[in-house]
Amino acid sequence: MKRELISQALNGMDDRFISEAASFRPEAIQETPERIVHMKKKRIVSIALAAALVLALGIVAYAAYFSMNQRVPDATETFRINWEEHPSGYLEWHDAKLAITFPDTAESKEIEFRPGWLPEELASLKSDAWLGRLTAEQLADKYPNMTASQPMLIETYYMSMFNDGGALLLLYYTPENIIEEHWDEQGVDVMRFHATEVLPANDRRPEQTLEQDIILMSNPEAGWVVRLAGEAGMDTLVKVAKNLEIRETGNVLTYNDFIDHYTFMDGGVG
Amino acid sequence: MTDTEIINLFFERSEQAITELAKKHGNAVARVARNILGNEQDTEECVNDTYLGTWKAIPPHRLSPLRTFVCKIARNLATMKYHASTAEKRNSHYDVALDELEDCFSDGNSVEDEFNAKELSEAINSFLATLNYTDRFIFTRRYWYSDPLPDIAKMANTTTNSVTVRLYRIREKLRYYLMKEGLLV
Repeated sequence: MKRELISQALNGMDDRFISEAASFRPEAIQETPERIVHMKKKRIVSIALAAALVLALGIVAYAAYFSMNQRVPDATETFRINWEEHPSGYLEWHDAKLAITFPDTAESKEIEFRPGWLPEELASLKSDAWLGRLTAEQLADKYPNMTASQPMLIETYYMSMFNDGGALLLLYYTPENIIEEHWDEQGVDVMRFHATEVLPANDRRPEQTLEQDIILMSNPEAGWVVRLAGEAGMDTLVKVAKNLEIRETGNVLTYNDFIDHYTFMDGGVG
Repeated sequence: MTDTEIINLFFERSEQAITELAKKHGNAVARVARNILGNEQDTEECVNDTYLGTWKAIPPHRLSPLRTFVCKIARNLATMKYHASTAEKRNSHYDVALDELEDCFSDGNSVEDEFNAKELSEAINSFLATLNYTDRFIFTRRYWYSDPLPDIAKMANTTTNSVTVRLYRIREKLRYYLMKEGLLV
């Protein structure tokens, strides 16, 4: 988009927003009683859940468990994420389509990866470098039927980031059938699904459906999660995932290493 | 002196109006211009043009709040000057803020050229109405006032890092909003 157009559009911003931002007014931040109750309740529930978890682990320590829990939040549910650095104390997200949580993990081992296999279209991304994130946006033209921005994106997350109510969220796309698996060769739990987002028709374009596949691989012992997503096709993404070389960097990441304790997995921009 | 009294001076065509306007809102006007233009000489010129513009506009207008009105004039003048001299080295806070939005709007997507700035303004205004107060404050300070991140953090009593992350989230939300509105494809 042209800078001049953006600039002109910003000039047209509403007077009330400009006036409102003339100075910061902490009193304008709405701290409703409901929120306070919610936070207190959440704390109590967290403690109760933690106690139950300790008990359960003590009894059936040997039992296998799947390291990712998923649920579809109610559209009105507000994700109030603690953010102590800010006066409001939280960020709000509404209308999430999927929330994935992980067992509380004190320490996650930092990892880096490199693809052991890539499809021909993405072969130019192959290198010996170890990465924390790989994006294939620049190769979008190799996939003429793409609906959004990415043929493939690989990102890493750490379970210690999501402690105390954090979650990995799908905010705009809606997941279809969610498949849960365990891949023995890599020792990871896997959750994978196709997801779509329907953009309703308007004056400028007909209805449009954005699509992507998402694979989450989690290693509960080491506390890391890898996400592969994009429009290269589920089979391709599975093959990339199964051939991903992953190694630990030697660093350990704890809850306090992360400013934010949630993230969302719709886009992959930025 | 209150804004109403200053506006009355403009209506009386008293030159004291400019003095009082500069005294009360001069810093805010200069800040808007400086953030966009990035140098003192252009800023001073823009501030003087803003006062002249205000002199011409009042009367007949009696716009309130006065500070918003003069800041808008300053911003319009500064952006015109900025775009008229794009060959010059980019070094203002405005450049950085525009870069952020440009990246946000063009990242991996083609963009229709048919729509105009007015449509985009309307969409941005509608989007801002959906945000909570703090997010709206941060967005407006960054992209309208073109304030640097540490200044916004200080104003909002938070850290620069927090503002950076929050702005990233807001831009992501805006991108999806514009896609839904059909302004980005």
